[in-house]
Amino acid sequence: MIQVNGLCKTFGEVRALDNLDMHVEAGSIYGLVGPNGAGKTTLLQHVAGVMRPDAGSVLVAGEPVYESPQVKERMSYVPSDFYFFHQARVSDMQALHASLFPRFDEARFGSLIAAYELDPRRQVRALSKGMQKQLAFCLALACSPDVLLLDEPLDGLDPMARHSVLGHVMEEVASRQMTVLVSSHNLRELADICDHVGIMQNGHMCLERSLEDLQGGFVKVQVAFAQESDAVPQGLDIVHQERQGRLHTLVVRGAASAVEDLLTQQGATFVNVLPLSLEEIFIYEIGGAQHEER
Amino acid sequence: MISIDSRDPRPLYEQVVDNFRKLIVAGALQADDKLPSVRSLASQLAINPNTIQRAYRELEAQGYVYSSAGRGSFVASSGETNELHRQELLTQFDGLVAELEDVGITRDQLMARLKKGGAR
Repeated sequence: MIQVNGLCKTFGEVRALDNLDMHVEAGSIYGLVGPNGAGKTTLLQHVAGVMRPDAGSVLVAGEPVYESPQVKERMSYVPSDFYFFHQARVSDMQALHASLFPRFDEARFGSLIAAYELDPRRQVRALSKGMQKQLAFCLALACSPDVLLLDEPLDGLDPMARHSVLGHVMEEVASRQMTVLVSSHNLRELADICDHVGIMQNGHMCLERSLEDLQGGFVKVQVAFAQESDAVPQGLDIVHQERQGRLHTLVVRGAASAVEDLLTQQGATFVNVLPLSLEEIFIYEIGGAQHEER
Repeated sequence: MISIDSRDPRPLYEQVVDNFRKLIVAGALQADDKLPSVRSLASQLAINPNTIQRAYRELEAQGYVYSSAGRGSFVASSGETNELHRQELLTQFDGLVAELEDVGITRDQLMARLKKGGAR
């Protein structure tokens, strides 16, 4: 659904995006992770078609997105700092979107703002920051987009609002196969909602994986042998190890059952597989990717 | 119907599978009961619909549910789920026996305990 190839963008001296590739399948929820300044927002702005690439291409549904109203009609973008007209009321923003997006669904908008208890007569400026964000979500979803772009969408929302905003997005994904591209620096936040992740660093895509592959790729295991020894079990692709007396803690590439079998064969008296959090997986994946590049 | 614990380090789909398995085994969901639709569960739990789809596929592979094209997923007949439950408990039992042997309790001691009627 979204294809980015060799995208470069320079602001003055700063190389914000450096030969970046990204592939997002239709109907998937793609999480874009990276430290501050990695270029996540710049990338989203290119996918939204509001920035012109220096080099490379950005295709949405097979079409270059820059200056293409036909493609943009089918997309909604919730930036982290959205713009509302001075003195605009909620109903004015509704009218503006309805005039720009032919697929704008007035009834849907009405039920969404009712769910968040947003009064259409209120001035947007007078709403709290969190409520403005909820309004931006209502507007974006009412456009019935095929592609939804979210930049740090949950910042500034209370837990209740987070849950209902995500719930509404998930409903659209399930019922209409909507594609979502969402950026965050918070991995935990993304782990619950994404099925694919891309990790960015210094304007470059370090790796793109499905969550399924990530979770099945590593095993963390505690193991003890009858004899205390420095010897590390053979035949395993170990990415990390610690030892406290008799007890080794290993992080191994591979499937849990295979690793367990192998350790038992080598005379382990105690084998315990531990769950590995997504944060840990990322640390080892990124470590591995950088290692391969060297 | 089910809940997700964000502090639980297990992958989400595993949590969903486990939740439903417990409900089925406990009889809270009975044969031919319909599982919630992927769409309604995704919006209610605010998690990815693909995760729920994957969990339902896993439950089907394990034999707890069957799916009917276009109609959704349903709980399998109680004969099958009871057998699965028995197998699961026996596996747990084997694990416990191994652990008891590790701490020095012999099979004879275990046999004597079983004959006496366990902890009762």
